[in-house]
Amino acid sequence: MEKYDVFYTRSKDGLFAYLLRMTGDYHLSCDLVQESFSRYLQRYSDIGERSRSLLYTIARNAAMDTFRKVKVDQLNPDGYADQNNNPEQQLDDRQSYDRVMAAIQQLSVIDRELISLLSGADLTYAEIGRILGISETNVKVKVHRARLRLKEILSNGGT
Amino acid sequence: MDYLGSMYIDNELDLEEKVRFIEKIHSEQDFYQQTVDLLVQEKQVRTIPEKFMIPVETRVRFDLKKWLGKVFHPLVYAGAGFAFATLVLFALRPVSTSQLAAVNRFVIYEPAASRVELTGTFNGWQRVAMHQIGTTGYWELNVQLSSGEYRFAYILDGSRRIADPTQPTRENDDFGGENSILKVDKQA
Repeated sequence: MEKYDVFYTRSKDGLFAYLLRMTGDYHLSCDLVQESFSRYLQRYSDIGERSRSLLYTIARNAAMDTFRKVKVDQLNPDGYADQNNNPEQQLDDRQSYDRVMAAIQQLSVIDRELISLLSGADLTYAEIGRILGISETNVKVKVHRARLRLKEILSNGGT
Repeated sequence: MDYLGSMYIDNELDLEEKVRFIEKIHSEQDFYQQTVDLLVQEKQVRTIPEKFMIPVETRVRFDLKKWLGKVFHPLVYAGAGFAFATLVLFALRPVSTSQLAAVNRFVIYEPAASRVELTGTFNGWQRVAMHQIGTTGYWELNVQLSSGEYRFAYILDGSRRIADPTQPTRENDDFGGENSILKVDKQA
């Protein structure tokens, strides 16, 4: 079985990318990554195979729990603003990032979910199907539609 | 079959679909343009500016006690406990897995330095290498500290020792240099 630290190292960045797109909140995403690995270990450390779909399902549930407690519009998209950094050097990146993040937040939940799950470049359509409880064929169609809708939002200036 | 473009982006095409994809790209200008647009868009979606990446402490930290508790069988608890105690004994090293009070993030802007180290009373003045934050000129290190008062300084390129320029409280050391003073309050 894949060792836990290897599993952690291989999965954490993709999982973080997913949670960041889903929640739009930097600090919350950091916390949810920790929470997800912790829950995975507590409940499923003894199952045979390390399962990314299971990890993402746990993360998704943890994110949903948070959404129930906190309204989405109360989340803190500028939660990273207190990071020590030099904003000028990152201005271009930051503008593009903000624009895309804002557009993603305008998608429907299922579209946002699909875009977010793929943003870590880590999961296959089959794994995404398992996480969302839909067929792989359905994932194909829905992913493409979600991307087209995101394109439309971005080309309308994000409004 | 418009979704061939997304399947291409996500590496989901089998050989037969690759043939169809290439033919479609070749014969349909609209499809070609859409695929290019979606690729560029996906690149934007997947890019996280370095500053907003998952932070260092989240990259390295996980709950060792829970991990030990779950993974180790009761028979080896004693061994695990001993290992954990050993870890705690050696916890004077930064970013260790001890039960210390809080993580303190040391940050310094030194774009000209090729190496920056942190040294201080929290680890017996051992030098610990700081991590460069991309190409920003900033260097950082997270150190877990219990409450108390600490002296520390940065060492640039292995030799030049400076106090933290952003830290107002300092004192002279015995060698003609200055150390910064950091107070860590106990957290509830």
